[in-house]
Amino acid sequence: MKKIMVGNHAVSWGVMLSRAKVISAYPITPQTSIVEELSVLCADGKLDAKFIPVESEHSAMACVIGASAAGVRTFTATSSQGLALMHEMLHWAAGSRLPIVMANVNRSLGAPFNIWGEQSDSLSQRDTGWLQIYCESNQEVLDTVIQAFKIAEKVLLPVMVVLDAFVLSHTAEPVDIPEPNIVNQFLPAFKPEFRIDPQNPRSFACFLPPDFFMEFRYKMQNAMIESAAVCKEVDGQFGEIFGRGYGLVEAYRCEGADLVLMSAGAITSTARVAVDALREKGRKVGLLKLRLFRPFPKDEVLAVIRNVEKVAVVDRNLSLGLGGIFAHELRAALCNEKVRPPIYSYITGLGGRDTTLQILNDIVYQTYERSEPGEQSVWVGMRG
Amino acid sequence: MAYQIILRTEKDLPYQPISLGSMEWNQTGTWRYLRPRFDNKVSPCNEGCPAGQDIESAMVLIGKGKILEAWELFKEENPFPAVCGRVCYHPCESSCNRAEFDEAVSINALERFMADFASKHGRRVGLKREKRKEKVAIVGSGPAGLTCAYHLARMGYGSTVFEALPVLGGMLRVGIPEYRLPKKILEAEIDQILELGVNTEINTRLGEDFQLKDLKEYVAVFLALGNHVSKRLGISGEENWAMSGVEFLRKVSLGKGVPLGKRVVIIGGGNTAIDAARTALRMGAKPLILYRRTREEMPAFPAEIHEAEEEGIDISFLVSPVGLIAENGQKKLECVKNRLGPPDEDGRRRPVEVKGSNYFLEVDQVLTAIGEDADLAALPKKLGVQDSMILTDERGATKQEGIFAGGDIIHQPHTVVHAIGSGKRAAIFIDCLLRNQKWEGVMDAIRIGERGSLSMRRYLQDEGEREPMSSKTVRLQDLNLDYFEPKKRKKTTKVAMGKRLGTFEEVNLGFPEETAIEEAKRCFNCGVCNLCDNCFIFCPDVAIRKENGNNVIDYDHCKGCGICVEECPRDAMIMEEEGK
Repeated sequence: MKKIMVGNHAVSWGVMLSRAKVISAYPITPQTSIVEELSVLCADGKLDAKFIPVESEHSAMACVIGASAAGVRTFTATSSQGLALMHEMLHWAAGSRLPIVMANVNRSLGAPFNIWGEQSDSLSQRDTGWLQIYCESNQEVLDTVIQAFKIAEKVLLPVMVVLDAFVLSHTAEPVDIPEPNIVNQFLPAFKPEFRIDPQNPRSFACFLPPDFFMEFRYKMQNAMIESAAVCKEVDGQFGEIFGRGYGLVEAYRCEGADLVLMSAGAITSTARVAVDALREKGRKVGLLKLRLFRPFPKDEVLAVIRNVEKVAVVDRNLSLGLGGIFAHELRAALCNEKVRPPIYSYITGLGGRDTTLQILNDIVYQTYERSEPGEQSVWVGMRG
Repeated sequence: MAYQIILRTEKDLPYQPISLGSMEWNQTGTWRYLRPRFDNKVSPCNEGCPAGQDIESAMVLIGKGKILEAWELFKEENPFPAVCGRVCYHPCESSCNRAEFDEAVSINALERFMADFASKHGRRVGLKREKRKEKVAIVGSGPAGLTCAYHLARMGYGSTVFEALPVLGGMLRVGIPEYRLPKKILEAEIDQILELGVNTEINTRLGEDFQLKDLKEYVAVFLALGNHVSKRLGISGEENWAMSGVEFLRKVSLGKGVPLGKRVVIIGGGNTAIDAARTALRMGAKPLILYRRTREEMPAFPAEIHEAEEEGIDISFLVSPVGLIAENGQKKLECVKNRLGPPDEDGRRRPVEVKGSNYFLEVDQVLTAIGEDADLAALPKKLGVQDSMILTDERGATKQEGIFAGGDIIHQPHTVVHAIGSGKRAAIFIDCLLRNQKWEGVMDAIRIGERGSLSMRRYLQDEGEREPMSSKTVRLQDLNLDYFEPKKRKKTTKVAMGKRLGTFEEVNLGFPEETAIEEAKRCFNCGVCNLCDNCFIFCPDVAIRKENGNNVIDYDHCKGCGICVEECPRDAMIMEEEGK
């Protein structure tokens, strides 16, 4: 069944189909309609879940941590300042190895105060132990939410599903809604090995002295690294059942390319159009869509770009003092490779500024023209 | 319970940071410096009931459908729930915390409901102690006297109740009209008292048929003569042409004819005035009440005034009678209009005559109801008689050892429920006296709150049996109102207006069972644990344990965070400093 829906409702419907049992959230633009829709689904009895309104995002995460430890499937959603306020609890969720799924609607962080799209909020949380998957369309959003629960429950790490403010969150597209019973087969009930049970008391997220702490981090790191393969496997199973797969990365028209653009999120859609037009003009340009960011899918990325001449990374985010975060992650991933292309870094679209075809063309032509990538990211689409 | 798990390598560790065994060996209770404790407190309704009934517990029982048990709880304190459920002015309801939240719980109607339910099931109460040889004399068979006899009987004492009138019940029998308190209801409750072994001597008036000094065979005396003498207006013609309201009600109750006529004027603003007017109405008269101040100052209970007006009785405010004359067999009442002046000593604004506003009312009968006094002429002054009142101490004891007093003749509000409370109090302290117990300690152990209510149930418990009781009364601000939602108070059904007049059938019909149960569940259970389990649910340390159906605190693991106390909806828990 196809339905016209905004990206935020695609999240909500994905959660409904995944049969989350506890949802706790605090509203924030542009995330609000995700939880509004979920509260309606709960109230209407379409989703048999406990919806717990709380007074802050910190509490929302604390709440789902408790519920998840008690052994049920849990979900929350936030954005920007809300995600920043959750920061402490993000570590507790991951460190407790709880398979919580959260949607984050990418929005800039103040000041200056701004409610529009930017990837800096989620990327600021890259070291918290959460998997991060960036979505390009509303269909991908819904599908990724369902996949995320399956991945999380396999690797026992929390998963963040990321979508762009307004461009996805508040824009309606046709979305194919999978049959609930088929989703049930794909994503069976959550049955954790350990759960809070007063009859069998245990200490959860317990105190650990120096003699054990490192081992737990080591296990987490291994789990994180191994989760890339799980993401691939789950996406593959999803594709077999529902006919839609996304991969960890997607190479678009990269055959014989001398230059590859790399992007994540909704900008990728615009980049597809830009690449199509440049190919029309005879330019050998390809596009690499980065879908899984944490863990960084180095092998998949390398397979696409190893032999191209130049890579231009479109970063709608900024690590102040460093530059574009995707570009630097890519540089770090490749630095020990003998054969590797130079990485050109571009900053664009901060605070919701449109990343237009013109800007993407500009990035491509600049990259062709420049002989050295340089240390600093180049800012494009600036005033004047 | 505690055992050690050896973890040598990374592989031995679980993937989640959880303990593989119980952590109960880790007694986190040692971290605590504040300690939560279950601490039941006084519900405001219980404190507000002069008869000392455990209303809060009864609400729990009714809510669970245990109606006979609730009735038995009331009967522990008061032999007259069927009477009080009809005529009590229910100070419990004005004390109820729900009154401030939405509407008070309909306690009075529930009291009647359980009493009628128990009566339908033929339930009786028995004695609490072995029979004893001592006998107590009780003068007056009103609510005070009979309550005293009831409690003394249950504690094993014999008693004789001396009654001046040919019927038992005092003002309940000859003051309150049938439509408010049917005689058969009253008689049923009196019969239950007599069944416990109480002697009665009717038509036996103190001062005429016997004297106080004749009561030597009795170990103690309880005086509850009541106020049966109407105050005089002091206007001309009163002696010849007016009749007192209490006398009128008494005669009607005893089935004696009273010539009334059509135009009946009742002078006064208290409950007697209202009762007299509504009785006259039922006898075919067209009553008019004259009151010298305004509605605000009327001492009658508002519900009574409301029902009278509903029935079509007119009340003229700011009017005083001046004189009563009769010309050619036609009575005329001269009246004068008033305005309100400054407040007098009791705080009510004093009526001031408006000069020249005199007018005449043609009347067939004038009933005076401006208050009643006791006739204490037969009592020796050394008891502490002062202005038609007997001075008593905290126990209800007079200045003479072994002689107690209660009801309307002592300094307390003139209500049925205060009379009942004073009768119970006298029974308790007569027992104390006869057992040579120090009364001060007893008083402290059985006091309910700060307004003089006493608990017979606690009195009859052994000292070790009594649960510790906090003296704190729970107020609305002590409750966690997040857990309560507004809910409409249930209304009782009443006889349709058209069917009330010309008959003395009871007006109020009470609650059906389902309504009663639902209404009882509105009770907040202020200050008393009703096992709602919030503490159990909220405790982050699972330190509330279930033991024999009760919640208990596991102090080995309670860290003293106080969440249980915060989340207790009804202030039945407190935090204390550790070591106190």
